[in-house]
Amino acid sequence: MSNAAMLPFPAPRLRLAARIGAAVFGGYAFSWGFIAAGAALMFKAGMDFHDAEFLSSALGLLVFLTVFLWTFATRRLVLAWVVLAGGGALLAGVASLVQASIV
Amino acid sequence: MHEASHAAWLLSAALLASLVGMAWLALAMPAHGQQVWGAPVPPAHARVLRVLGAVALAVSLALCLASDHASMAALVWVMSLAGGAFATAMALAWRARWLALLAPWIGAVDTATTR
Amino acid sequence: MAAQGVAAQSFRQAMAWLHTWFGLVLGFVLMAAFFFGALSVFDREIDRWAIPSTRFEPQPMPSYEQILRPAFERMQPTQQAIDAMRPRVDGPMPEHFDTVANWSAYTTHRDPVLALFAGFQVPGAKDPDEAIFALGTIDPRDGTALPDDRLKIGSGFFYPMHYSLTLDWKNLGVWIVGFSALVMLAALVSGVVMHRKFFRELFTFRPGKGGLRSVLDLHNLTGVVALPFHFFFAFTGLVIFSATYFFPVGHTQLHDLHDLHAATEASELGLPHKRAGVPAGLANVDAMVAEAQRRWAARDMAGDVGFLVLQHVGDANGYVSVYRAGTDRIALVGQGIHFKASTGVLIREDPVATPVGKVAEFLTGLHLQHFRHWLLRWLYVLGGLLGAVCIATGFVFFVEKRKRQHAKQGSQGARIVDALAVTMITGMVAATLGILVANRLLPDDLPARGDWERYAFWGTWALALLHAGLRSAPVARGLANPAWREQCGAIVVLALAAVGLNWITTGDHLLRTLGAGYWPVAGLDLALLATAAIAGATGLHLRRRAAATAAVEHPRREAAHA
Repeated sequence: MSNAAMLPFPAPRLRLAARIGAAVFGGYAFSWGFIAAGAALMFKAGMDFHDAEFLSSALGLLVFLTVFLWTFATRRLVLAWVVLAGGGALLAGVASLVQASIV
Repeated sequence: MHEASHAAWLLSAALLASLVGMAWLALAMPAHGQQVWGAPVPPAHARVLRVLGAVALAVSLALCLASDHASMAALVWVMSLAGGAFATAMALAWRARWLALLAPWIGAVDTATTR
Repeated sequence: MAAQGVAAQSFRQAMAWLHTWFGLVLGFVLMAAFFFGALSVFDREIDRWAIPSTRFEPQPMPSYEQILRPAFERMQPTQQAIDAMRPRVDGPMPEHFDTVANWSAYTTHRDPVLALFAGFQVPGAKDPDEAIFALGTIDPRDGTALPDDRLKIGSGFFYPMHYSLTLDWKNLGVWIVGFSALVMLAALVSGVVMHRKFFRELFTFRPGKGGLRSVLDLHNLTGVVALPFHFFFAFTGLVIFSATYFFPVGHTQLHDLHDLHAATEASELGLPHKRAGVPAGLANVDAMVAEAQRRWAARDMAGDVGFLVLQHVGDANGYVSVYRAGTDRIALVGQGIHFKASTGVLIREDPVATPVGKVAEFLTGLHLQHFRHWLLRWLYVLGGLLGAVCIATGFVFFVEKRKRQHAKQGSQGARIVDALAVTMITGMVAATLGILVANRLLPDDLPARGDWERYAFWGTWALALLHAGLRSAPVARGLANPAWREQCGAIVVLALAAVGLNWITTGDHLLRTLGAGYWPVAGLDLALLATAAIAGATGLHLRRRAAATAAVEHPRREAAHA
């Protein structure tokens, strides 16, 4: 229970809510970033746009599943939030940069 | 129309092959040998049953591919495995002795050694 | 227990927690998705049962010149559509919409009636790309218009139920079902992690052991034997809606890339995006369709027309697209062939899909099922029912495991879950039967008949919930809820009533439909009889078990009083 001290929410119900939030919303953000970056990069690499969108969506859903499960398995909840929300934002940023480089 | 009934025969055979194949694989397992014959089958017989089971499932796949376009055949086969496994489980639960008919060469004598 | 459950646990324990609690909450949604999904496999057949005037054989796409042209030319938007468009138009609305953006007709090998769509340009619209639509249904044998006001209980109710719970406000239902599909995938993976004897217990079902062990065996069995089915249907369901609803990246963040692609594609394909403004005639469309079929045959593909589109009708830029119905393979309509409308000359034959395109067609076609393969359809129904049993046994296991404990603690938890489980299992089946019975009982000319049919569905379900709740007090004492067997009885009555009413109101009783080989109606009647039989047997079994428990309880209680 050592990570309880690291957290701003010692109460178990709040911790649980934070974990579910990380899995659902953090997971969604990370998946969005993954799909956007994937579609943009594959399109830049020459793939048809709808193909790129489809492939990155299919992979992105599997990524969502993976991070969702991981968020419930990990002991480090803060890390989960940072990776998911931060990673998602980063990947989305990459997508916009790639788009800007094409149009 | 002739083609349709031809495919119907092939698919019926495929379903049967999946069912029998799953049953053979189940019979090789100790818990189910126990249910059917009162004791698990000896290792040599178990190996034979597993091989037969695998071959039957492969035959089922071939029959599915002979009936339809590959994309459909793959799905029909996978679903036939589900159906075959479920039917086998139901048979083991309520009429385990019937499955002995699928391996008539295994008698009480053989399983006596593992009892 | 729930709140502190997740932290400081092994991977397996964390997965068990996730499986139990997310499975419980989203399981209620998933029951509906699986059950109505299984019914949707035969949605068009259920439509035939519900709309007796359409009980004839499926028809191929009819001739444009003889059947479709007069039908299309008759179509105009409804007053309702015109009124809805009014705020988006500057100036007065025209009396008659003359400029046709497109006409299209869609059919599959299971459709007797033909769906027609017409899109018209809107003069004076604020958005120059605005279009107003008209829908029509015709009998393809002679072109007579059929009334559009009947609720298609299969394709128009059970099918949307399964992917959106018919909750259309802000697409909330699609999101709820989508999230439950993600949880389904998580439940499958976590279930496999939890299930230590995955291979050893592949065929294991021990009904004799009774209680928790039997229920868990059945839960594991139905989950494992159809695991690829459960996984792929949840996954492909999510994929199908991903770009439109869940991750609409191309319409939002990557909008610029999407538009860039659309512009280059339009110029490459030779299919004009806009009208030229120059009037032109229309060459013989039947000849174009025949040419398309010839070209498909040359590529060794079955030649049923699934989708016919006339774009920019009456304009020099007009083109006709003929799409193949993918009856012989998993992919949906495809291999489109496009002709210049005024001359009938070929513009383009759609090339073979890219590898990614092929995967996309396979995954979507696998789920949406437009293929002609009756065995595979029935195997899908089997998969769907196995999934429903898996979820149902999950609820039963949850309640049985905690019932006695909750009774001792004075908790109402198990009781509430049990009542909800009754509602989602027997209650849902009863509601399904309720709408079919209402469909046969309501007067034919009742205005808004479809709305009344829907009220019958929801009303029956609400009654089931009420009944399940009111009868659930024994669960709080660690006993069984009598609502289970009582609703089984209701199902028997409703199912037999539906079959009987079909006979009385249409004359299409089983002997007649079986004799004529009219499987859509015969099949549903047989399924209804099978439902009655299973519910009857289950109800009797539950009654016997309740009597046996009472016999055991009674002497015990007497001894306690003594």
